[in-house]
Amino acid sequence: MRVLVVDDSSTMRRIIINTLVKLGHQDFAEAANGLEGLERAAEGVFDLIITDWNMPGMSGLEFIRTLRAQPSERRIPVLMVTTNAAKDDIVEALRAGVDNYVIKPFTPDTIREKIDAVTGRAA
Amino acid sequence: MDAQLVQCLTESTCEVFRTMVACDLEPGTPLLGEAAQPRSHVVGTVGFGGSRLGLVAFHGSLDAAREIAGRLLGISAGEVRGEIADAIGEVTNMIAGSFRTRMAGRGESWAISIPTVTVGTDFSITPRGYGQRAVLPFRMPNHGDLFVELLLTSR
Repeated sequence: MRVLVVDDSSTMRRIIINTLVKLGHQDFAEAANGLEGLERAAEGVFDLIITDWNMPGMSGLEFIRTLRAQPSERRIPVLMVTTNAAKDDIVEALRAGVDNYVIKPFTPDTIREKIDAVTGRAA
Repeated sequence: MDAQLVQCLTESTCEVFRTMVACDLEPGTPLLGEAAQPRSHVVGTVGFGGSRLGLVAFHGSLDAAREIAGRLLGISAGEVRGEIADAIGEVTNMIAGSFRTRMAGRGESWAISIPTVTVGTDFSITPRGYGQRAVLPFRMPNHGDLFVELLLTSR
């Protein structure tokens, strides 16, 4: 499974990738904001996108809205990893096209469960 | 200072360290007002605004910050080089975000800023215009004291 990880924090990108490696995944690309995320998504084929919400330049929500507005033969599952955990935040993210939601701080088990949920839904 | 705010910030800090840093912090007695001026080498700050306005600041020594960065990144503290600022920024972001979520459950509605981090020696933060202040001390086993500061202002 090829995963695109989008977060302005290099620390959080490393935490997520280390978690994915522990879960048996090996193929990753990284982006530091939504604009870079769109560029990476256009360059390659991904099976999953994991994105932060609050990022300078282009936020995770704008990134996903733009991505979902583009014509595509397949819908890439999107997992949002963020501290924005109020009910209104979750509703807004789901409306933007996010498939599931991980609230920081998180455990590897939570990441695994959410990945299973979104990739299973996409299958 | 509202005791509920102090309790929620304490719980948020402990949760972030337990879950992401694999470290059980020992909370101390909160210090209210201007009595405490944490001296530290690394300070992460996140502002918030909405039903309340204020700032959450994380204070730690360089030794503690290096240990925290190493644990987050899955490397030893000795291997940490330029990652300290980003790591402490992320820790501060998670503490402030978790705090915001807890307070949202109690009817508060805030937005939070992107974190900023200062790394250096012999400096302190002197906020202007803040109405209330609390400093929450925590002991990080084998790495001394950490502090989380909450500054509030009224509209």
